[in-house]
Amino acid sequence: MKLSLSPGRALRGSATGLAFLLILAPILVVVVAAFSPTDYFEFPPPGLSLRWFVEFFRLDNMRNAFVLSLELALLSATLATVLGTLGALFLARRRGVIAGLLQSLFLAPLVFPTIILGLALLLLYKTVGMPVFPGLLLAHCVIGMPYCFRTVLASVQALDPSLEEAGQSLGAGPARTLFLITLPLIWQGVLSGWLFAFVVSFGELNTALFLSGPGLTTLPIEIFSYLQFDAADRTDHRDGGRDRARRRPRTHHSLALIAVIVTGARGSHP
Amino acid sequence: MKSAWTWVLLAPPLAVALIFFVGPLGYLFYVSVHAASPSELYGGALTLQNYSSILGDSFYLRIIQRTLGTAAVILGLCLVIGYPVAYFVALLPSRRRMIVVLLLLFPLMVSNVVRAYGWVAILGRRGVINTGLRDLGLIDVPLDLLYSTEAVVVGLMTILLPYMVISIANTLSGLDPRYEEAAQSLGAGPIRTFVHVTLPLSTPGVASGMLLVFLLTLSAYVTITLLGGPRSKLLVSMIYDSVVSFQWPRAAALAFILLAIALALTGIIMAVLRPARVQGTGR
Repeated sequence: MKLSLSPGRALRGSATGLAFLLILAPILVVVVAAFSPTDYFEFPPPGLSLRWFVEFFRLDNMRNAFVLSLELALLSATLATVLGTLGALFLARRRGVIAGLLQSLFLAPLVFPTIILGLALLLLYKTVGMPVFPGLLLAHCVIGMPYCFRTVLASVQALDPSLEEAGQSLGAGPARTLFLITLPLIWQGVLSGWLFAFVVSFGELNTALFLSGPGLTTLPIEIFSYLQFDAADRTDHRDGGRDRARRRPRTHHSLALIAVIVTGARGSHP
Repeated sequence: MKSAWTWVLLAPPLAVALIFFVGPLGYLFYVSVHAASPSELYGGALTLQNYSSILGDSFYLRIIQRTLGTAAVILGLCLVIGYPVAYFVALLPSRRRMIVVLLLLFPLMVSNVVRAYGWVAILGRRGVINTGLRDLGLIDVPLDLLYSTEAVVVGLMTILLPYMVISIANTLSGLDPRYEEAAQSLGAGPIRTFVHVTLPLSTPGVASGMLLVFLLTLSAYVTITLLGGPRSKLLVSMIYDSVVSFQWPRAAALAFILLAIALALTGIIMAVLRPARVQGTGR
C-alpha cells in the first residue's frame, strides 16, 4: 500500500487535519474555558483558575447529581460486567442459529436507538411502579452490557481451549476451571468491559432523560437542563447565567478525562 | 464446558435482556396501538389511529423529511471526510496508528452534552468565532450561527465522525496489500486501483460506519436540542415533546415510526453496499 500518489497523500493528510480539528476543537474549548477565572465566557481566557471547580461542588444539585452518576456508573458497570461475562462465557464456544440469535440479542442495545429504549422502560416502570434509582440502574446496565459482552467474548475466543481442557482432564470441575483458569486468563477483557460500561453509564443521556426523577437527576441531564434553561440569555445577555453555564460541563469533562486516561491505557475498543 | 450447568451461565443475562429490553419494546408497541386516555397511560380500544394521524399530518411529515435530510447530509459529510482520514490512518505504521486511533476514541468517552456545549461556545453570539471576527474588525454585529439545522449538522457530524473513521480504518488496515499490488502490476493506475479494488473491498467498514452514524443521528436528542433550538426539531424531539405532554400512545407510535425508518435505512444501506459479498458469504 505504499504505491500511493502524492496528491492522494496530500488529500488524506489535509482531511485528517481537518477532521481532528473539528473533533477536538469543541472539547478543547470547554477544557480551556473550564479553567477560566472570568465571570463571562472569554476565549482565550485571560488567566487560569480553579474557581469554577470549587463553585461546582458548592452547588447542592450539582454535587448530588455527580454522586448519583458516580454510584450509578459503579453499580451498573459491575452488574453489566457480571451479566456480560456470563453471556460471553456461555456463547464463546457455541455455534448455530440459537447462539447467533442470542449474540445478536446481547449486542442489540449497542445500535438500538436509546431514546426508544428510554421511552419503553419509562412506560414499563410507570406501569409496575418501579422506583427511580433501580430503574436507572437497570437501564444503564442494559446499555453497558453489550460492551462487556463484546470485550469478554473476544478474550474468551482468543483463549486456547486446550488450557481449559487440561484443567478438566486434571480433575478440576467446571467451577474450578472457570475461577482458576478461564477468569485469570480473560481478566483484561473483563476489566476493559467494565471501564467501557462505566464511561458509557457516566455519560448516558437518552434513557436518563426519561428515567430521572424528582431529586434524582444524573449529571449529564443536570448539565443539559442547565444549558437548555439559560440557552435564551446565554447568547445575548451578560447576566450571571452566562458563566454559570460554563462550569457544569467542565467538571464533568475533567472526570471524563480521568476515565479516558484509565480506559485509554488498555488501548482496546468494542 | 458442555454439561447442562452451563445453561446457568445464560439465565441471568438472558433474563435481563428479555425483561428490560425485549419486553419493554413489546409493551411500547402495545401502547402505540391503543387510544389515548386522560388518566391512564393508554385507553381501552385497539386502534391504528396514532400512526395514521401522524402520517396524515403535514407537520409531522415535514419533520420526518427534515430528519431524513439532516441524517443524509451528516452521513454524506462523515463519509467524504471520514474515508480519506481512515485511509490515512490505515497506512500509518502500527504504533502510530494506535496513537491516532486512541486520539479518535478519546472524544467518544466525553459526554455528548459536553461536546455539544463546545460547539455552543464556538458558534454562539459571544462564542469563539464571533469574538474572533469582531476582534479582527470583520463584523460589527455577531452572526447567528447557532440554533439552525446547519449547527446541528456540524455538531453531530463531528461527534459521530470518529465512528466512521474507526470502522473504515479497521477494514482498510486488515486488507491484504497484495490485492492492490496485483492490480497495479496488471497495469491499473492508482485511481483505478482505488476505485476497482480498494473501495469495493472496504465496503464492510463503510457499511458499519454508515449504520452507526445513521442510527446515532436518529436518537441524538440532546445535541439536536442544544444546537438546533426550537426551530430545527427532528423526529426525536417530537418523541420527547409528546412524553412531556403525557401523550403516551402518540410518543410510542412516533418511536416505532423512528424505528421503522431506522430499519428501512439499514436495509437500504446493506442492500446497496452488500458488505457480505466481500467476506465471501453473499453474492
